Amino acid sequence: MIVDALQRLQQAGFPITDYQYTGFGAIYFVDFILFHKLLGMSKLLSLERAAGLERRVKFNKPFKCVEVEMMPASAAIPNLSRDTKHIVWLDYDGVIHKDFLSDIQSAVTVLAPGSILLVTVDVEPPEDLDYKEAEPSFDASNVVLGPKHWMKYFEFQASAYLKLGLSESDFGRAQLPTRTAEILKASFTRSIVSRTQVEFLPMFNFLYKDSHWMLSMGGLIGGATEKRRLRNSTLRDTKYFRGDFGAPPFEIAVPRLTRKERIYLDREMPCADNWVPKEFDLDPDEVRKYRDIYRFLPAFAEILV
Amino acid sequence: MRYASAEVRKQFFIEMFTRDISLEDCVLDLIDNSIDSYLLKNEISISQLIFGPDQSGAKREPGRIDVTCNERQIRVVDKCGGIPRKRAMDEIFCFGHDPGDQAGKLGAYGVGMKRALFKIGNKVDIVSRTAKEGFEVSLTIDDWAKEEGWSVPIKFVDGATSERQAGTSITISDLRKEVALRIKEGGVPKNILDDAATTYPYFLDQCVKLRINDVDVPPKPISLGESDGVVKAAREKFDYNGVKVALAATIAPGLRTSEEAGWNILCNGRAVVRANKDDLTGWGFDLASFQPKYRSFVGLASFESDQPLSLPWTTTKRDINRESGVFIHTRNLMVTMSKPILTFLNSQYPSNPATEVGDIREAVEGVKAVSFREIASKPPAGFSYTPPRKKEKRTDWVRFQAPIALLDKVRRHLRRPSLTPSDIGKHTLEHFVKTECGTD
Repeated sequence: MIVDALQRLQQAGFPITDYQYTGFGAIYFVDFILFHKLLGMSKLLSLERAAGLERRVKFNKPFKCVEVEMMPASAAIPNLSRDTKHIVWLDYDGVIHKDFLSDIQSAVTVLAPGSILLVTVDVEPPEDLDYKEAEPSFDASNVVLGPKHWMKYFEFQASAYLKLGLSESDFGRAQLPTRTAEILKASFTRSIVSRTQVEFLPMFNFLYKDSHWMLSMGGLIGGATEKRRLRNSTLRDTKYFRGDFGAPPFEIAVPRLTRKERIYLDREMPCADNWVPKEFDLDPDEVRKYRDIYRFLPAFAEILV
Repeated sequence: MRYASAEVRKQFFIEMFTRDISLEDCVLDLIDNSIDSYLLKNEISISQLIFGPDQSGAKREPGRIDVTCNERQIRVVDKCGGIPRKRAMDEIFCFGHDPGDQAGKLGAYGVGMKRALFKIGNKVDIVSRTAKEGFEVSLTIDDWAKEEGWSVPIKFVDGATSERQAGTSITISDLRKEVALRIKEGGVPKNILDDAATTYPYFLDQCVKLRINDVDVPPKPISLGESDGVVKAAREKFDYNGVKVALAATIAPGLRTSEEAGWNILCNGRAVVRANKDDLTGWGFDLASFQPKYRSFVGLASFESDQPLSLPWTTTKRDINRESGVFIHTRNLMVTMSKPILTFLNSQYPSNPATEVGDIREAVEGVKAVSFREIASKPPAGFSYTPPRKKEKRTDWVRFQAPIALLDKVRRHLRRPSLTPSDIGKHTLEHFVKTECGTD
């Protein structure tokens, strides 16, 4: 969907191909491969903070045009070129942390107008090791973490970004995605307000389950020109576009289907609202979910060699 | 329509608004005015002093400012050009500046002199002479406070005999009880000297010579550092609503104490904040809390404008107005610029003890002094550290904990009871290689 969005922005006049993409490629570089192949981007920078992985990360670089820097985002983002437009994807694999908010502060402060920032964060409850940061004396053998602890964790990591008037009951498991979204939104706002003639224009707010529930929020840093181009782009016509962080996120729910069922469904996509397959049973809600995301699903195959 | 009174009362200015500023800062306000006279008379811009060609060798006669501070009086005498009669008649005794007034660079608010006079003493004698004309004002504040009206009696006198002699003298005597007590307690002249040294590093010896009780005030400069090809300062330069902002953040040269580390903020060349390590400049919130391992960190933020009111300083010029738009934006940049430097300084103390840190520590120690002028003249860029080319690594550390009983067993077997753990490790490794890996 991100690639789809960037293609639509390219059509609307944003020179995406000339942007620099900065992300956390790890050893798989999935996003780098997509952005190079489907968008023609060739200024690609992958950041890796684990010094021990250097050889493995560099070995797995998919293309010559991918640069790898062994440093955390906190050291790299401040030094990103001010003369280039950027796409920066801070794809964190942990729950909200003050280091993430610090990276967001840097990115929103330095990225040139026209740049895009996307942040991905785990929205499941903090685990024992996470919680120990907020309470070093915590003993996991005696206590099971619950909303009281999760609230303490969020206050420790992001107190300046939390809404006023929250209580323990606002930190149940099901509310953590909303709390995280509020923090990320506040974080984008905090650093953009002092920039003259530039706003943070929301675009993405995805909620989905990988191995954990994850939230991806992001947008465009832009002035009047960028705002107009975004308004005139076809991105606003998509189901996944979120021009207002106050609206509920786009939930990416991938129905569990066999390959045979997918092929059958694809023949009928895009389908009418209440259409259901005749050859097998599938809930209309599941069909609707599939219709929302079928275009973006990779085609995987298992090969027995 | 009824109206409630909103009249301005003299007692407020004399007793209330003097409480929020220290005695030392009042004296610095008077010094600001002297410096302003000099800058105005010689048409010197702040940019020239901080970023322009080095002025210390210029043929221009420096301004002289002599401050006397004792239990009987506080006196500021300058040879900085004097105050024109028109300004004396229309401006200097008013609170605030007229929009049409040619305000100084450091005298931002039009309150410094008045506040100093009210705070320090009861008897005020001002004599000011330009080359052409002069005036005298003598006032007893308590008597003046009882009178209706806000005007001040003034006498015209002849001008100075030459440009060199043109200047202003302000004598405040019959000191307020609290002021006399503080001076009697001791330390005030030294405080003024130390404060002036850290507040005016870009003016002292460049355009004015300042003395406190006949002791020269040497400038205490803000040291920035780089080293060729290895450590490069972060730098930014931009305009924000008419305010020129220049930033530099880097490693400071030489051995440092934590006291000297942190961010320094200049407004029109005057140091408003020195060595800040708290949340004003992001420490403890957007940045890690300051720790001694960051003692080599130095940042310098310079704000400059012909409209001093647009600068982010408070009326005491000792703090920053956090609601200032230019400061909010600049602070974000200052924090962002600082992060790679803290990452670099952190790498001197890695969590893995086997990591080589020699290069990092050498780089910190090898940094040489470089001027703000030189750093700011280069295009904006982030802090960078380029490690020197490494020789190919041919050895590595082997470290592990071993039970003492096992070590003793090896010692007994080799009949060498004093063999060190490190030698045991070497011996056992060599033995394994020889017996298991062969000699190829």
